[in-house]
Amino acid sequence: MKRTNVRYWTAFIILTVMLAVLLFWNINSGSVELSVAQIYQIIVKHTGEKTAYNIVWEIRLPRILAAVILGGALSVSGFLLQTFFGNPIAGPFVLGISSGAKLVVSLTMIFLLGKGIAVHSGTMIAGAFVGAMISMGFILLVSRKVKKMSMLVICGVMIGYICSAVTDFVVTFADDSNIVNLRNWSLGSFSGMSWENIGVMSAVIFTALLLVFFMSKPIGAYQMGEVYARNMGVNIRMFRLALILLSSILSASVTAFAGPISFVGIAVPHLVKSLLKTAKPILVIPACFLGGAVFCLFCDLIARTVFAPTELSISSVTAVFGAPVVIYMMVRKQSRSL
Amino acid sequence: MRAFKTVFTAGITMLVMLASCAAAQGAETISGLTFDHSMELEYAQQFSVDCYEGGYALIDIVESGRFLVVPEGAAIPEELDEDITILQQPLNNIYLVATSAMDLFRAIDGIGSIGLSGTDADGWYIEEAKEAMEKGDMAYAGKYSAPDYELILSKECSLAVESTMIYHSPEVMEKLEDFGIPVLVERSSYEPHPLGRTEWMKLYAVLLGKEAEAEQFFAAQKEQMSGVTDSANTGKTVAFFYINSNGIVNVRKAGDYVAKMIGLAGGNYIFSDLGGDDNALSTMNMQMEDFYAGAKDADYIIYNSTIDGELQSVDELIAKSPLLADFKAVKDGNVWCTQKNLFQETTGLAVMIADMHRLLSGDEVPDALTYMYRLN
Repeated sequence: MKRTNVRYWTAFIILTVMLAVLLFWNINSGSVELSVAQIYQIIVKHTGEKTAYNIVWEIRLPRILAAVILGGALSVSGFLLQTFFGNPIAGPFVLGISSGAKLVVSLTMIFLLGKGIAVHSGTMIAGAFVGAMISMGFILLVSRKVKKMSMLVICGVMIGYICSAVTDFVVTFADDSNIVNLRNWSLGSFSGMSWENIGVMSAVIFTALLLVFFMSKPIGAYQMGEVYARNMGVNIRMFRLALILLSSILSASVTAFAGPISFVGIAVPHLVKSLLKTAKPILVIPACFLGGAVFCLFCDLIARTVFAPTELSISSVTAVFGAPVVIYMMVRKQSRSL
Repeated sequence: MRAFKTVFTAGITMLVMLASCAAAQGAETISGLTFDHSMELEYAQQFSVDCYEGGYALIDIVESGRFLVVPEGAAIPEELDEDITILQQPLNNIYLVATSAMDLFRAIDGIGSIGLSGTDADGWYIEEAKEAMEKGDMAYAGKYSAPDYELILSKECSLAVESTMIYHSPEVMEKLEDFGIPVLVERSSYEPHPLGRTEWMKLYAVLLGKEAEAEQFFAAQKEQMSGVTDSANTGKTVAFFYINSNGIVNVRKAGDYVAKMIGLAGGNYIFSDLGGDDNALSTMNMQMEDFYAGAKDADYIIYNSTIDGELQSVDELIAKSPLLADFKAVKDGNVWCTQKNLFQETTGLAVMIADMHRLLSGDEVPDALTYMYRLN
């Protein structure tokens, strides 16, 4: 018991230290050289030369916080879906969330922007969120009729295919510029985040995360099996609805603000569970948040600095680091089953 | 006699005043500024410029916004409408994202005012821009959808000139404006006449105080074109297209400026019935079967290499689709390929039209023209 507690504490300390190191590294990295002392003055004392002040407060800090919050949200969403479906490669977008968001974004780009009608960034974000929620709505409808979890995954994938097919149909009539822009959006990015975005995403995501945390006990019971959970008093139907809703809100928020970001939701829960050597939700949920934040911060640092001023898409970087984890996990699972 | 002279002079004076009033009625009234004249624009329809005494100028870009250019050291008028953005001269370290604008800046000797580019050095075919980037006078600041805000801020950028692609990334525009960097979205791609695109150099000239240079250059462009556009239609048909990696043919719509250029050169664009659009830069994808049916009898083929890469021979063209071997233009040896610099060199449109005209008139032409070359 003591040993396991030490392990848990160590894991959380490691994650927290890594987060702190990456926060420090990120705030001190960028196209413009700023000294640690300058950044300290700007952040703590709110003094400094105007350009440097804007770089730190209006460019670096919102971006870093977005990577933390959205990375954490993706990771928790992935954990929820992997637990729910009992499938280790279930990710935040398995229910067609990103496809729904992409559909609405493509419609916005082609029918509004294609006519030269300017829209506010909030409209694009809201549109992506609405698209994601529409996909989620279909899944909720289907989940009422379907008992087997594997069927629900298939339905989610099918809904994703339908949304993608409609998007492709719409894109057929689009100008090349719209296709390029849609592709850019599909690759995901933390660029251009503002404090306004941080405010909205924090309100939505932290509320959802709190509710998820309060569901730790029923999730823990569900991990032992549906029958066990039912016997423990968990209302399976409500539990299922709540889980789909919360994981969808988390992944929809990420997609709305930063576009679809791959592999974080699949890889990080496994990394965290390996670190903690447990799947207890009460520990894994906060650890997943920290782990997702660390992973996204690291990947975003690479995406924006390695080839600056050219910025890599965040999905390219997360895939490069996340895919090996998935492969390792599959191989390990295979060798254990033998 | 004296009475007659007085009445005559008074009459002339009244007529002049009435004419001025008529001109002034179309101009914006700005408190504290006296309207002087409106810039004469012969082809451009997407912007207008009202000039005021003291060197002030109000630029109005259709569906894009209004900008008041304030001379260096001059006071900013009070009680301006909220939608008017102030551009205080001198405008240095401009962040230029709209690639078609670079050549216009070059024409008015304004490249020195551009400090940041949305295209890296390898992407430029305009030598002056390439040199400036290689020398370090112009820095690559990231593409339009993911600019390097830190670099832009550190260079004290005074203006961002974007294309309408920026509307797909509204958060970028908002972020730049939050930093106090005005964003001017150019709409030259919506000009129905090719010279209308070139005439945008007059707008950039207003920003830099180089109106005389712009007038001179534009007059030369018109001169170059006048001999061509006055001549009769040759009756020859031209197909302008490229084939993408999926084997789909991308062609221009009838209202596109390339189709217009062919018309001005005395030719007929082969797909003259393909739906028009508000956007003068409009293309569409077409299946090879439809393209074959519509273009196989075209007298001339011009292959657009700017997207797909320059072809070196007719065999390379036929490798994209064997059906092309059956085209009249291929059999007659009238296959031409554009060079990659065509769409960046906006000031070359008049030359391009003149070259097309030489081609279509049946004149003896060399295998290499300014912006295109014959495929053998």
